[in-house]
Amino acid sequence: MAAVSYPIGTAGPLQAQSTIESNRFPPGDLAIWVFILAELAAFGAFFGAYAFTRMRNVEMFNHYQASLDSDAALINTFALITSSYFVVRAVAAIREDDSRGCVQWLLAALAMGLLFLVVKGHEYVHHIEAGIRLSTNKFYMFYLSLTFFHFMHVIMGMVILAAVAVKANRGGYSDREHTGVETGASYWHMVDLVWLILFPLVYIMR
Amino acid sequence: MTRRTAFGIRACTWVWLIMMGLTLTTYLIGRFAIGGLGVSLTVLVFALIKGQMVGDYFMGLKRVRGFWRWPVSLWLFLPGGLIGAAFALVG
Repeated sequence: MAAVSYPIGTAGPLQAQSTIESNRFPPGDLAIWVFILAELAAFGAFFGAYAFTRMRNVEMFNHYQASLDSDAALINTFALITSSYFVVRAVAAIREDDSRGCVQWLLAALAMGLLFLVVKGHEYVHHIEAGIRLSTNKFYMFYLSLTFFHFMHVIMGMVILAAVAVKANRGGYSDREHTGVETGASYWHMVDLVWLILFPLVYIMR
Repeated sequence: MTRRTAFGIRACTWVWLIMMGLTLTTYLIGRFAIGGLGVSLTVLVFALIKGQMVGDYFMGLKRVRGFWRWPVSLWLFLPGGLIGAAFALVG
């Protein structure tokens, strides 16, 4: 993978944004991008299956969709978008060689991730108490499996961000070497990206 | 390895605010049970715009040239097109 290094003392990353050259590779380790594309393909197939199954069950999908908690979905969407923004700030901090700032932004992102898990977990408890299962009907089969598949990705993303934060706290990254931070950030943005489609598809569109 | 592919914090802050605004608009559409094909497709377009913003600005793909510039955009286009087509076919 091609690397472009920037000497210390040159314009900071934030000031240099408008003049930097393009790169041939995305930020982070290229392997994570292969993984991200595989994950996106899986979610894309899931979304397509939901939309086309809904075609034959429009009334049923609309009826049960109305039973979902859109307030919780709003909070969770705000949480993931904000956590993604915090991760952007963490990457910017380490590019300024600010490990402490990087750790603080990562912890803020993790807090947003935890908020997502708590809210989503609360929704699941409510569904379980209402006797809703995968086998209840096709809508809930898609809703539960799609959102739980994403839920597991949030947990995995948080584990990755936590590992990055621990290493950053030990001084393991610098303005010259922070591939790990960018790798973790890229995965977390993918988790956010998937939810941005999942939220309107499952909770709003009818 | 260090590469600068993300955009300035100010741009990303604006992107974050725009995405929050689009999300709130989407939520209000759902809250007031506004349905219909036009509304659903508008909500879908909002989601695709937000997804493109995440790819371009948060992931930093706007500064990437060549193959890796396009997978996220393509991913948004394909499932987005499928979803839009499925909703359009049932009106």
